[in-house]
Amino acid sequence: MKKFFSQFYLLLFCNYFFLFLLQTNLFAQSSSNELNLFSPQSRLQFGNSLFNDKDYLRASNEYREYLKYADNDTIRFRFATCFYKIGRFQEAADNFKGLFNNSNLSEESRLGYNQSFFFKYDFQSFRNSVKNEIYFPAKYSSEVNRLFYISFLLDNSVLPDTSAFFPAFPDSNKNEIRQFYFRKKFPEYKNPTTAAILSGLLPGLGKIYVGETTDGLTSLLVTGALAFLAVDNFKHNHNFRGWLFTGLGAFFYAGNVYGSAAAAQNFNAGVKFNFDKDVKLYFEKRNYFLPEIKF
Amino acid sequence: MTKFLFTTFFLLIVCKNYYAQTDWVRWDAEVIPYKIGDTTDRFKANENRNSGAGIISFLRNTYGFFISDLDGDNCPFYPSCSNFFVQSVAEVGLIKGSLMFSDRFIRDMNLFKSKNHYPIHKSGKYFDPPINYTLVQEKIYYSSPGKVSD
Repeated sequence: MKKFFSQFYLLLFCNYFFLFLLQTNLFAQSSSNELNLFSPQSRLQFGNSLFNDKDYLRASNEYREYLKYADNDTIRFRFATCFYKIGRFQEAADNFKGLFNNSNLSEESRLGYNQSFFFKYDFQSFRNSVKNEIYFPAKYSSEVNRLFYISFLLDNSVLPDTSAFFPAFPDSNKNEIRQFYFRKKFPEYKNPTTAAILSGLLPGLGKIYVGETTDGLTSLLVTGALAFLAVDNFKHNHNFRGWLFTGLGAFFYAGNVYGSAAAAQNFNAGVKFNFDKDVKLYFEKRNYFLPEIKF
Repeated sequence: MTKFLFTTFFLLIVCKNYYAQTDWVRWDAEVIPYKIGDTTDRFKANENRNSGAGIISFLRNTYGFFISDLDGDNCPFYPSCSNFFVQSVAEVGLIKGSLMFSDRFIRDMNLFKSKNHYPIHKSGKYFDPPINYTLVQEKIYYSSPGKVSD
């Protein structure tokens, strides 16, 4: 009886074991039922997934393959958006341009086209395209106008008149915009020539004018001390040392005159850098007043 | 025996699930750095650009061998004053380069210089490249004071 039961259990185990093996084979991945991952539809799904994950470079590759088989305005718009997002603005502009006519996203693509030139910092092309009616999105006219005026804050062009500039922006932001406008129009630059002349009159004065007070005082002390040493040595008939200190004094005096002009230029570079940084931070925080397009 | 068989059977089922393919775990989007970093020292001028730079370079090497290497790396600036002199002369010639060096030497003598005036190089020194003193506005590489610059 005991033997019978042990044989029974062994048989049962063998059955389960074979069943288990069969089951794994039944549920295993089979190539016959496999989804074709390279079909246009799969590429589109994968591209959309990558786009939502903000992996725009790889999404653009999937969309490119999909668009070889099917034409879809939304996907073409997404394709252009991918380039825009990864900073390939020229390709983005080219692809947006293809959607200008006979498309539901015509206005949005005109906006994208203008944005691409703006963020490429190719402000001349941007302004030309804004002035061109074919490229101007009527639906987003106020947004593009704002970009148009912002572009003047970001390059060296002559600023437009205040009567045209300020109305383009919302009332709530007018104070900040006004400050940026006047900082750009009347930058607090220091004149390198004035700095050099001041240092010529009194060593170090040009540096003090530029704001480098301690550098200015140091150069005044150094050139003053060398001048004193030169005079003192000439008085005591130490001509060699007198000429040596005269030469050194002249060397540092000339260097200070030169350095004051260079310091003024560096100061001006700092003013420009800080202005650009403040403008970019301000508008980036507000997404350049651009709408979020749902598509 | 029975327990052993059931345990084995249970383990086999569990093992199958452990090693199963899990397609529903999404791939994470890889953060791809699209820009290739600048690997060259863009501030360093070719020291053999002109004969003046060759002479000053020889003097700098002599000074380095006999004095600086023994005295230690004491200059608070990057590039050091001696290298600044060589690079200035290589960039703009002997006369203008000497004026740039003279200005730098006075700034080095300033006891109150601080990170409020200069950006910080990754070596921890004040970053002060000669390119900022050539009087060519377009060449100036501005970096905020106190900020670590490469």
